[in-house]
Amino acid sequence: MNKKIVAELELAFKDIEVNTPQDTRVEICAREEQILTVLGFLANKGYDHLALISCVDWIEEEEFELVYIITPYLQENKAYIEKGDVFLKTRIARENPEARTAIPIFANAEPYEREIHELFGVKFSGHPRLTHLLLERDYEIPPFRKDFDTRKYVKDVFDSIPVIPEEEE
Amino acid sequence: MREVELYFGPQHLGMVGNFSITLKVEGDCILEATANPGFLHRGFEKLMEYRTWIQNFPMVCRINVVEPDHMEMVYAMGVEKLANIEVPERAQWIRSVYLELARVGSHLFGLWAYANMLGFDTVAQWSMYHRDLILDLFEELTGGRVYHIYIWPGGVRRDFPEGFTDRMVETLHSIGKCVPDYNDIFFNNPLFYERAHNVGKISQEEAKEWGAVGQVLRATGMPYDIRKVEPYAAYDKVDFDIPTRVEGDAYSRVLVIRDEMIESVHLIFKLLDNMPGGKVFNRSFNPFKWKVPEGEAYVRVESSRGELGLYMVSDGKDKPYRVHFRTPSYTHGLIILEKLLEGANIADVGNTMISLYVVAPEIDR
Repeated sequence: MNKKIVAELELAFKDIEVNTPQDTRVEICAREEQILTVLGFLANKGYDHLALISCVDWIEEEEFELVYIITPYLQENKAYIEKGDVFLKTRIARENPEARTAIPIFANAEPYEREIHELFGVKFSGHPRLTHLLLERDYEIPPFRKDFDTRKYVKDVFDSIPVIPEEEE
Repeated sequence: MREVELYFGPQHLGMVGNFSITLKVEGDCILEATANPGFLHRGFEKLMEYRTWIQNFPMVCRINVVEPDHMEMVYAMGVEKLANIEVPERAQWIRSVYLELARVGSHLFGLWAYANMLGFDTVAQWSMYHRDLILDLFEELTGGRVYHIYIWPGGVRRDFPEGFTDRMVETLHSIGKCVPDYNDIFFNNPLFYERAHNVGKISQEEAKEWGAVGQVLRATGMPYDIRKVEPYAAYDKVDFDIPTRVEGDAYSRVLVIRDEMIESVHLIFKLLDNMPGGKVFNRSFNPFKWKVPEGEAYVRVESSRGELGLYMVSDGKDKPYRVHFRTPSYTHGLIILEKLLEGANIADVGNTMISLYVVAPEIDR
């Protein structure tokens, strides 16, 4: 049912991989520098609701996977089934991870990117405020990475008196 | 006039929940608002990577205190999708009834928060009492009042007890009888109208641009509801309406919430009339040794605040590899609130925030 958008995507972008694992889902794997153009293309085709930006830490492959889940804001059930969800995925290196911000296309990408920056340490270039969102200070290893051991952290912090460096004015 | 920085919350009469907004004000006018979440960040998504698939149930329902049931549902749906578990027909219908009951309870709690903040104490007392009647029903059905852990991958934990549906219908009728009283004292009250209309006004284009869902979007005239868009449980088997308004301000959002409560009660009656028989649970796995096949899933439900999604990745082990919740309050509290408060009056901060139906634990997770 997603044949139309798959054909259009393959025509517009020669070097991306498009799969349809389910009837109502399209999966696109693209390089990081293509993300903005693909997002813009999808937004113009009526996929106008960015539901989520997520990040998965594939530590064995030394890569982060950014997942953009885009759905159409449609009013009728029928039209939805013709369109369905789109998963746009890109992999970036785990060392000094950097990606471009999606704010110019979807304004609601802002807090998602802030959260990924804070919890995974991915830097989004062009983002207007990459400040702390949920946490209050920096950690040596961003806490949602797979090599951050929650149990070890709890033991280190709560079995002794923690030393929290004071912020300089 | 001099610019002043003002902290609104987390200890503030107009603030519901652990949330704070930093305001830059000049006189009474807000120049800039910065949402400041994180007071309730418990890192649930990380903790879930350390626990087995079944051990995670007590955690998911604690993500949002006022509506744990939709959290259970979205997590159970995610596990079912990854592990390809069939759910019996009767369990799907029971789930729908249960979720609608939870929606009414959650809206009554939301009504309490709004009325209480505006100083309509009588309405707040009433809605808290009526919510308590619904909690009694939950207690009878599941044994718990607030956190129920009733939905399970493969069905629900137990069937309705004998006579439960009659008591449920009776309770809902006794609450429904008070709707005219609620209208007189609150919804049609000129004082409330003056206080809420044209506050936090948002157009449909802005709402779509900023990723609004739920009542915020429906109050701008768009009937976007996951129960219709991507039906789950038994929502495609019965007919129901999606209440909308066109004004897009705080008053219309509250009216949408009221109409939705009434529609939910009608929906429960329709579901009960056509309830199929049969078993309610497919017993197929040992929860202690259970491994979910490799894969990823994105599932979503319509919680009482809007689109609630769950992105889940499994690497074939006994624990999830990555869990990420897409909660409706996230965009409402972090983007739309900031945008709507620019240029608003200080007196409308709590009003705007609660009419957007923001729940802080959902943002922090």
